[in-house]
Formats: sequence, C-alpha cells, structure tokens
Amino acid sequence: MGPTAYTAPTLSGDTTTTAEAEAADVALAASGDGRAFERLYRTHVARVHTLARRMINADVADDVTQDVFIRAWSKLSTFRGEAAFGTWLHRLAVNVILGRRTVLGAERARRVNSDVALDQAPSREAPGRRDLTMDFEVAVARLPDGAREVFVLHDIEGYKHEEIATLLGIVPGTSKSQLHHARMALRKQLDR
Amino acid sequence: MFATLLTTATLLVAQQTDTQLPVRQGTRLELSNPHGGIVVRTWTQNAVRVHAEHSEGDQIQITSGPAVLTIGASSRHGTPEEVSYTITVPRSMSLNLSGVQTDIDIDGSEAAVSAQTVNGDVKCRGGKGQISLQSVSGSVALQAADGRIDIHTVSDDIRITDAEGEISAETVSGSVRLEGVKSPDVEVSTVSGDILYNGSLLDNGRYRFSTHNGDVAVAIPEKVNASVSVATFNGDFDSSFPVSVTGSTKQRFSFTLGSGSARIELATFNGDIRLRRPGQLHDEDDEDHDHEHSHEHHDDERH
Amino acid sequence: MTDHWVERLSEYVDADLEAQDVRALEAHLANCPTCQAALADLRLVAARARALDDTPPARDLWPGIARAIGAPGRPAQERRRVAFSVPQLLAASVALIALSGGAVWLATQRAVAPVPIARAPATPVVGANAAWTTDAPYADAIAELDSALQEGRKAGRLDTTTLRVLEHNLTIIDSAIAQAQRAVLADPGSAYLNQHLAETMQRKLELLRGATSLAALRT
Repeated sequence: MGPTAYTAPTLSGDTTTTAEAEAADVALAASGDGRAFERLYRTHVARVHTLARRMINADVADDVTQDVFIRAWSKLSTFRGEAAFGTWLHRLAVNVILGRRTVLGAERARRVNSDVALDQAPSREAPGRRDLTMDFEVAVARLPDGAREVFVLHDIEGYKHEEIATLLGIVPGTSKSQLHHARMALRKQLDR
Repeated sequence: MFATLLTTATLLVAQQTDTQLPVRQGTRLELSNPHGGIVVRTWTQNAVRVHAEHSEGDQIQITSGPAVLTIGASSRHGTPEEVSYTITVPRSMSLNLSGVQTDIDIDGSEAAVSAQTVNGDVKCRGGKGQISLQSVSGSVALQAADGRIDIHTVSDDIRITDAEGEISAETVSGSVRLEGVKSPDVEVSTVSGDILYNGSLLDNGRYRFSTHNGDVAVAIPEKVNASVSVATFNGDFDSSFPVSVTGSTKQRFSFTLGSGSARIELATFNGDIRLRRPGQLHDEDDEDHDHEHSHEHHDDERH
Repeated sequence: MTDHWVERLSEYVDADLEAQDVRALEAHLANCPTCQAALADLRLVAARARALDDTPPARDLWPGIARAIGAPGRPAQERRRVAFSVPQLLAASVALIALSGGAVWLATQRAVAPVPIARAPATPVVGANAAWTTDAPYADAIAELDSALQEGRKAGRLDTTTLRVLEHNLTIIDSAIAQAQRAVLADPGSAYLNQHLAETMQRKLELLRGATSLAALRT
C-alpha cells in the first residue's frame, strides 16, 4: 500500500470522509491508532448495526456490533487494501453475525423497536399513500429466520446466491426459494 | 490590511440563527465547527437550543436522527466562514464536538464528552463517563468531571481540577497540573513540561508521572500506603520528609510508605522530582508556575 | 392450485434464468394477470429493499469497544508489552529520528556503529505500549506516516501556526530521543533507560500520527 494523495472532505458533519482519508485512517488504525479506528467506527457503525439488527434482532444488535468492531481491530493487520475497507468490514460483520445466530430457532425475529428512523426521506410512493418504510422494516423482522437472512443478504446487502449459500451453509437453490418466499410475504406490505 | 477588511466585512453581514428543537433521551450531539467558537451549556429541558452567529452566506444545518443530532454549517461559496455557536442541551446529552481554529467551552454536562480542536482552548466543567479532550496548540482545562478521562495536548497546558475516575493526560511541551483529583488510576506524561499532582493516592491505586525534561512534583499526604519508585537519569530528587530506600539501581530507587498498597512511579530523564506534603506543594510550585507562565505564552494567531 | 411460474418470478427479476426459460416465462406472462401483478410487486419489494437506510445504534457503542481494544484510553490492566532487544531499540530510534525532518544528532551516527552494539548484551527489554513489533509493519507504518505528512505539508493542508507547533515539538522529542539513545549506549543494561527510550519513541510516533490525521482530514 503506497502513499495516496489526500483531498479534504466536505465540512458538514463528522462522519463524511473521502476514500483517501479513510485509507489514511485504516493505515493509522492498523498501526495501533485508536482515534483513527474510532473515526472508522463512526463512519461504518450504522451499516453494521443495521445489518445485525435485521439479521438477528434489535436486542442483541448492540452487543454484536461491538463484537464486530473488536474483531475488526484485531484483524486489521490482515486487511491488505484489495477491497474497500467498508466491504472488508461488511464481510467480517456477516461472519460475526452468522456465528451469533441461534441455530435452534428459538429466537423468533422480534419486532423492530421504534428507534427505526423517524425522519425518513420523503416516501417514494405516489402522493396519497402513507410512508411504509417503517412497516416494511417491521415486516422484514417478522420473516422466518432463513427467509429473512437470505432476503437481507440478497436484496438489502446485494450478495449473490452462490455467496449466500456458502455463508449460510445451504445450496443456491434453497437460497433462491427462500428469497422468493420472503419477497412474496413482503408483497403484502405494498398493498395497505 | 486586506485581511482586516475582510474581517470587517464579515462582521457587517453577520447573521444570527436561533432555533430550538426537541430531542429524545439518549440522543448524542455532533457538532463540527472548523473556525470560530463552540459554547455548550445545559438545562433541564428535553430540547436543544442552537444559537449561532455567522456570515450571511452561510447556513446552519441541523440534522435530527434517531440517535444523533448533527449540527454544522454550509456555505454557498465553498467553505463556511467563522461561526460562533452557543448550544444549550439536556444534561444527559453526550457531546462530540470538533473544530480546527476553534475554542470549545462546555459547562454543566452530565454525559460523555468528546471535544477536539487544533488551534484553540478546550474548557470543560462537568462530564460523566468517557471524557476525551484534545488540542494541539491550545490548553485544556477540565473541572468537576467523573469518568474515564483522557486529555491530550501538544504544546499547551493541561489542568484538571476536582475530577474522579481514571485519568490519562499527555502532552509534549505543555505542563500538567492535577488538583483535587480522586482517582484510582492516573497516568501523566510529558516530554518537556512539568507535572504537578495534588490529589488522592488511593489504596491499590496506580499513579504514574513521567517526563523527559520536565520536573515532577507530587503531594504525598501523611497517611498514604504506597510503594514508590523514583527513576531519573540526570535529575535531582528532593523530599520534604524522610524516606528509607528499599532498593536501588543506578537510576532507580524505591521506598515504601505505610502498607505500600498503591503504586507510584515517578520517572524523569533530566527533570527534578520533588515530594512534598500537600500544603507545601501548592505554595512552592505556584511560584515556579507563575514564573514559567510569564515568559511562555502562546500566540493568538487565528485566521 | 399453484402456478409453477410464480415460483420462478424472483429469478426472473434477478436475471437468473436460462434464456429458454426466460422466453417461456415471458410467453406465460403475456396471458397471466396474476403473474404480472406478482412480478410488479416483487420488483417493488426488491426496489424497496435496496432503498432501505442504515440507522446508527441508539446509544454510543464506542466506549465499550474502546475499552476492549485499549484505545483511546488505556485498560486498567497492563498495556500490551513487546520485547525489543537493545540493538533493535537503538536501530528503531535512529529511524524514528531521521523521520520528518527532525534534527539529526551526532548520536545517531554513533548508534549505527557496529562496535558498541556488538558489545552490548542482547538483553530483551520491555518496550512501551507497542504499536510496533520487531518486523515489517513498524517500518511500513513509519514510512506511510512520513509520506502522508509530507503530502499534507506540500498541499498546505496544515496552517502555519499548527505546522510550527508540530515541528517545534517534534524537535523537542527528537532531542529527548537522542539524549536517551546516548544514555542507553553508555549503559545498555539499564532497564529504566531502555524503557524510557522506548516510551519517548512512542511519543514521537503518536505525535506523527496526530499530525498525519490532521494533514489528511482537515482543511
């Protein structure tokens, strides 16, 4: 990883950084700089936490998120910069999250708590329809575990079925059918 | 001359923003102000009041999310100019403030505080939990805080008064002064600044004061239980009460006070190490402190 | 009654079907309003999923993480310690002084002379809170920090006051490192002197890091 040129980020808010500034922070953090790692945390925590919340549930999301970042800190030296840091962190988060899921199915997806963002972007629906984003999140949380996991990884996070199959220990065919079931269940959310 | 004109022009078109909005418990404040001042006060309302003085071309932006309230300025013409904020927040609202050519002044917080600037002073009275204050060429003063305290400057002084909780204070050439502090774990380090400690030395506590060129002065009350280790290369050691040395090498010796339960490490390279009783320390070192301060005064060049 | 085409609609939406299946499905779609409605809905669901936002946790999780990794404050227990042998410590301190234009002292020339180091016993010494180990990552970190700092200086990203303060303080630390080096050379068996040198080097590394992050992130 050679030196890169740095450009100043925009000044609104603490968490916007350019890719180059982030690369600097990754280098600093990898050499032990806790403040640089904190900046990385601030930039990426929302994504990690939301993933944890959707994949498992809101109750353990805080805990799992901390685990992810603690693991990321110790694994930083293995990050070689081939992918964007966010991508690397995301993979690591998925691994930590999958390790935490309850295998026995006792944990049913819980209702997403009302801390889901209230200040949403204006609804993409036609005027006259109320904003359904929060209901959508709730509906996702209520999906059965397998379907929910595949839906989150595929439709929300953008993984391909082959990757999902490897991650979840299933065959791609199962991943596809789980996805379909999830989408069909969520379809009902569109018609209120 | 041109710069002066610009400044005047800025003042002429100065504008005020004053707004208030409700916030939920547990929301954190994030404010980044690269140039100007940040003053934070607290009240009992579940609301945040934002008062800002800024140039006409700039706008204050407040983004309210479920867990974070973000405040910043934006400009139609590139970078915003100087902004002077006075923010009033609930006491329990944790604060994350940053600036560059910025002074930060916080009073009344009962929550976590993180304040960082480059060219400016940080003053904080209050704070609970994780307290992290930082400046490069400015001083940091913390008062009446309780929590995990982490203070960092490069060239200017650190002053901590009446604080509880674990303390870590580091500077390169500033001096560090801790008074009325009650902590089980204190770590102070400078390269060329002096250290003065006049606080509790609790049983089983750990206290470490290290410099290269600076002097270290520590107040040791009569009834203290501590194992003390003193190390210096070139400096003098001076104690106003007798100590019986238990072990020594060329640069390091130790002695025990009382049951020896706390651990105190005093380490310099060139600087002197002075142990005094609490009353004595204050008088003596105030003199030295004032002398130093009169000829070492950082410039106030803010643009 | 299940329409087996419905089951394949998701794959169609994701462009995951073989060409002949696509043709067959499209032929079916032309005549099946149920499937058309389902298709539209599935596309909408997928689009809705893509548009979902991330939200941060309600409380700040950083303090817990900071405690677990030992940063920015320290954990109550001992910090991680790494052993350096004396020659390594001296060599590293030489590299550190040469960095970022700090004054290079006469002692550094002496420090690289083989004779004094060869005579010194290779006593393992406890170093300070180690960001470095005895191999490549340390040298790499130093090199990256240096070039980042140079970039920042060239680009004028640090204002003159701050730059002056940083350089002045780097000189102070360099001077301290040089003095500590001379002392260690004269007395390599002294655990205290080795520790002091290692800690002073650590201070320089921290200052460089701070300067680098300033250069990278501020205007």
